[in-house]
Amino acid sequence: MRIIICVKEVLDPDAVDNYVLHGKLEIGADGKTLTQTSIPRLMNAYDEQAIEAALRLRDAGAECVVDVVCIAADPTAILRHAAAMGADEITTVPVDAASLDGHAVARILAAYVKSKGGADLILCGRQASDDDQGVVPALLGELLDLPVITIARSVTLEGGAVRVVRVTPNGDEVVEATLPAIVTISNELGTPRYPTTMRTMKARRLNPEQAPLAALGLGESDVAPLVRMTRQYVSSVQGNCRFIDGATAADQAAALIGELRSQRVL
Amino acid sequence: MANAVVFCSFDRGKDGLPAGAEEVLTLGRKLAAERGVDLDWVVLGPMSEAVAATASKLGVAHIDHMDDPALAELRPEAVIAAVHVYCRQASPGLVLMTQTFDARLVAPRAAARNGAGVVMNAVGIASKSDGITVTATAYGGDTRVEYDVAGPAVVGVVADSLLAEAAAVPSAPESRSIAVDLAGVQERVRVVQKAVTEGPRLEEAQIIVAGGRGLQEAQNYRLVEDLAAALGGMAGASRPIVDDGWTDSSHQVGLTGKITRPVLYIAAGISGASQHMVGCTAAKTLVAINKDPGAAIFKYAQYGIVGDCLEVLPELTKAVKGA
Ligand SMILES: Cc1cc2nc3c(=O)[nH]c(=O)nc-3n(C[C@H](O)[C@H](O)[C@H](O)COP(=O)(O)OP(=O)(O)OC[C@H]3O[C@@H](n4cnc5c(N)ncnc54)[C@H](O)[C@@H]3O)c2cc1C
Ligand SMILES: Nc1ncnc2c1ncn2[C@@H]1O[C@H](COP(=O)(O)O)[C@@H](O)[C@H]1O
Repeated sequence: MRIIICVKEVLDPDAVDNYVLHGKLEIGADGKTLTQTSIPRLMNAYDEQAIEAALRLRDAGAECVVDVVCIAADPTAILRHAAAMGADEITTVPVDAASLDGHAVARILAAYVKSKGGADLILCGRQASDDDQGVVPALLGELLDLPVITIARSVTLEGGAVRVVRVTPNGDEVVEATLPAIVTISNELGTPRYPTTMRTMKARRLNPEQAPLAALGLGESDVAPLVRMTRQYVSSVQGNCRFIDGATAADQAAALIGELRSQRVL
Repeated sequence: MANAVVFCSFDRGKDGLPAGAEEVLTLGRKLAAERGVDLDWVVLGPMSEAVAATASKLGVAHIDHMDDPALAELRPEAVIAAVHVYCRQASPGLVLMTQTFDARLVAPRAAARNGAGVVMNAVGIASKSDGITVTATAYGGDTRVEYDVAGPAVVGVVADSLLAEAAAVPSAPESRSIAVDLAGVQERVRVVQKAVTEGPRLEEAQIIVAGGRGLQEAQNYRLVEDLAAALGGMAGASRPIVDDGWTDSSHQVGLTGKITRPVLYIAAGISGASQHMVGCTAAKTLVAINKDPGAAIFKYAQYGIVGDCLEVLPELTKAVKGA
């Protein structure tokens, strides 16, 4: 079987957070692009966990090709990381993802899946840590007419079906769908494996397969966005904290509880 | 009715009203007025009695009710199919949904099926001559992004970020029943085991004491639980300590955890990363305990204690119990 994992290249969200915290996040002249070149470009963490989910299926005995695809100008580094983790095939669709919206990304991914003769299982991250939109897997589900199961804690195969434990606001839910299907992976899946040095060395020489739009049968108009980002800015945080002093922790605690009571919070 | 601004609801909240109904209808009313179109409310599945009064208060023109046996449990394929039927008939210009867990799947699928643009995490929408500009959060709330959508759009709105406001003059909403036949719709995802809510939910807690990596060790999470118990509240957690198994994921607060809005939120040993803060900035009063006076969390807090949470938490529990 073929498992296709869709991975996005994102700016390290912790680094972005850090720059914001120190009031130093730079936004380019276009008013929307984060321009600091010192912010590392990483694989979206949920997508790394999606690869981990696929590798666990293989470890559990599923005979499968683990196929990782990324739409980005040059995501060689993150795709090599995917290969080092254990992916069998790595592919780039060389397009600047910033010029696309979720619909266009989904259309490209759908064309990619079709170019491979379909997939039995498609794994995505629950959302990308840059735009937080979480729409691509659902849009892809519509284009390919497949069931979509969101926010998985665990994924197993049972005959021709996928069984998923979903993390819902009401607790865990167990669901099942006949393959092919799309599943989005959440952080509850657990830490992705760390590639061995040997695998990392080997992957260093790999170059991802290139699947340009034309090779996927897509033209410019197929990837024209319906949704365009026009502006990005740092949200302001108020910051008028009243610090509770005290010689000891006990004094601070008593002062805080006293204050909360007098303000009728308690 | 064509081009109307539509609030589409397919859930029943605590009081029988769909989650975020008043907040999202308030936003919808302003947009409908700006565009000179109706604000309509499409209710999918069983309709609560509370809908009519709320619709009038918020200035809704039409209550469009769609029901079918397939909508009894509001499962996604049926809901998406119903939204699709509605959009084909009514061609609304803008469909608003409260961004619930289910809406995160329904909104993009419905948008794709209707050829509409989709934006989630919306905290504001403005009308433009040729469409809308949606303001949404990104990077877990670190940044805000504006998206232009020309043509029809489906937008998932973060209701907690908005205030509800009644219409200046209540409306007399007209009720319409929209026929829909979903007999052919199959739920492709089968529920093998339903989620069971055990006990109270963090989202509804009035008091939350949350702990983070600053607690140092799994066993110290007990200090958070003790204070929460003494205050009659619930215990929350940052993601790393959930990932490390100090407590289970039902306690995780934040972007990918629970969005809470308690009266009091006490954060102990939590740095204040944006992805955590989106889950607790709606708290009326936020208290932070952190040994680092430069921690980001103090930017959000009303009260701060600079200190070791392992010392401060037990003292707080004592102070609460002592009186
Ligand atoms: C896409 C995405 C989604 C995410 N979703 C979530 C989410 O839903 N919820 C969430 O919480 N995080 C989420 N995160 C993670 C988030 O970015 C932070 O990494 C996380 O919130 C940090 O947790 P923390 O504050 O417990 O740990 P740290 O950042 O390590 O902070 C520990 C804090 O404790 C303080 N400290 C240390 N020792 C003591 C002591 N003895 N006494 C007092 N203070 C002490 C330190 O000064 C520090 O400020 C997400 C990240 C991404 C990229
Ligand atoms: N440029 C991309 N290339 C490959 N996969 C993507 C891309 N963008 C989004 N995805 C997939 O869709 C998921 C959700 O992304 P988003 O809808 O942008 O939040 C990600 O976790 C990826 O699995």
